[in-house]
Amino acid sequence: MTLIGMGGLVGFMSGMFGVGGGFLMTPLLIFIGVPPAVAVASEANQIVASSVSGGLAYWQRRAIDIPMGLILMSGGLAGSYSGVQLFKLLRAMGQVDLLISLSYVVFLGVIGALMLRESIQVIIAARRGRPVQARRPGQHSWILRLPFRMRFRRSKLYISVIPPIVIGYFVGTLSAIMGVGGGFIMVPAMIYILRMPTNVVIGTSLFQIIFVTASVTIFHAVENQTVDIVLAALLMIGGVIGAQLGARVGLRLRGEQLRALLALIVLGVGVKLLLDLVNQPDELFSLTRMGTGG
Amino acid sequence: MRALILPCLLACLSLALPTERAQATEFKNVLVTDVSKDQISIRSNYSGETLLLFGAIDTQPYGEADGVVVVLRGPAQNITLRKKNKQFGIWVNGPAYRLGDLPSFYAVASSRPVAELLPSARRAELGIGADVLKASNLDAKVDAEREAIEAFLRLKQQANLFAAQSDAVEIIRGKLFRAEINLPAGMPVGRYTTEFFAFKGGALIGYQTGELPVDIVGAGHILHEAAYNMSLLYGIFGVALAVFMGWGVAIIFRRS
Repeated sequence: MTLIGMGGLVGFMSGMFGVGGGFLMTPLLIFIGVPPAVAVASEANQIVASSVSGGLAYWQRRAIDIPMGLILMSGGLAGSYSGVQLFKLLRAMGQVDLLISLSYVVFLGVIGALMLRESIQVIIAARRGRPVQARRPGQHSWILRLPFRMRFRRSKLYISVIPPIVIGYFVGTLSAIMGVGGGFIMVPAMIYILRMPTNVVIGTSLFQIIFVTASVTIFHAVENQTVDIVLAALLMIGGVIGAQLGARVGLRLRGEQLRALLALIVLGVGVKLLLDLVNQPDELFSLTRMGTGG
Repeated sequence: MRALILPCLLACLSLALPTERAQATEFKNVLVTDVSKDQISIRSNYSGETLLLFGAIDTQPYGEADGVVVVLRGPAQNITLRKKNKQFGIWVNGPAYRLGDLPSFYAVASSRPVAELLPSARRAELGIGADVLKASNLDAKVDAEREAIEAFLRLKQQANLFAAQSDAVEIIRGKLFRAEINLPAGMPVGRYTTEFFAFKGGALIGYQTGELPVDIVGAGHILHEAAYNMSLLYGIFGVALAVFMGWGVAIIFRRS
């Protein structure tokens, strides 16, 4: 019941803010006492469901650049495989919880801070009555002019396939380690580095997330046995219902205020994880089973 | 004279007990015992239960027993204990201790505190009391072993997997006894052993042992088995379920 509720809450937020819930759900699961390794793998399983659900809407609106999605995916699958291998290695060393926590502290901190800065700037500018200029970041065109160029009709691009593969690989690794879809990295990377038009970005991101989180789920199930299907199913139920309700509420609220609120939540979760690492824990020892003894 | 010799004789005989418990039948065993269930089935909604262990004491050979002890022991495990230490300002897992052959679950119920019934050396021989449990130290780091075992006991007690209750065995008119042991929701699965001991004057006068299988049953059993033995299929099933649910929900909400 708690889990369906949490799935609902995070689903509500992801529907309201228009983000995938993984980077909030995994820390929440860890806070209520789910082993981090299980939280990551089961959350990846849940994200498959939410990205299928979201991706279908974009599919029908033809807002997915499928060749681009496939190329991102090929990098993503390789990334998820190496992420799971790294995960397995560190798990044997007893350091995987640390890897998960540190990854979250870094990413939640950076992304929360960037989002907060951006939304406060927009709010202040709006108060002064000035129109907000969309910042065009510097040109990265040499990256896009690398060899192996390919035409992407729906994105109206003719760029090298190397940057999308590298981005896909990086996000796939994160997905395996953090139990996230990685949309929060993928979407800005597609807009600012690949310079894709915004109307196909979210659909394409969701499209490749389906396959990457599916592969993360399967790799974790095979290598680490950390996928808990029952847990994932409860989260799916809560998540999908919450997402639908959240999307309705989200339409009535202002974008920059929403983003400021989300930024504060993201920072709060990051700070909590950091404090858990810095403060002396009540119990210094932890117990892991190695197998059945004689 | 005979009354004096017998407890001594029994004490000598029972010295061999922990290794060769079969010998327990060679003395006049005063205990007849049973358990309220012959197996524990863990379903998906399992929230723990109370197990009743009971029996009769034959007072004919030695008179009334001083105390009765019941031990429920889960399958042995090898475990790794890790201790956190502070590095670069954060607490990270440091040294690991690998300990072998420790029970995954261990509950002692007795009619009196076990320390009053027997000296600790004797309890160690019989395996009565979590404080005298011995681990086979897989790393032979002897200096740290005690601290690690204490941490192990603490963690197990917090998880309700180790328990000692000194008033949990009720002896009725010296002849019947009953003990209740609480089984927690998250108990490990496997073959458990039950052990019943009756003591008089520090000597063992009755001993019975039995097995109690603890298994996950129903849909949970299939998932549990699949997760470990058919992990590829299990992963694919997880993904298929997710795709199905995501798809289904998208269709349902589009109609409404």
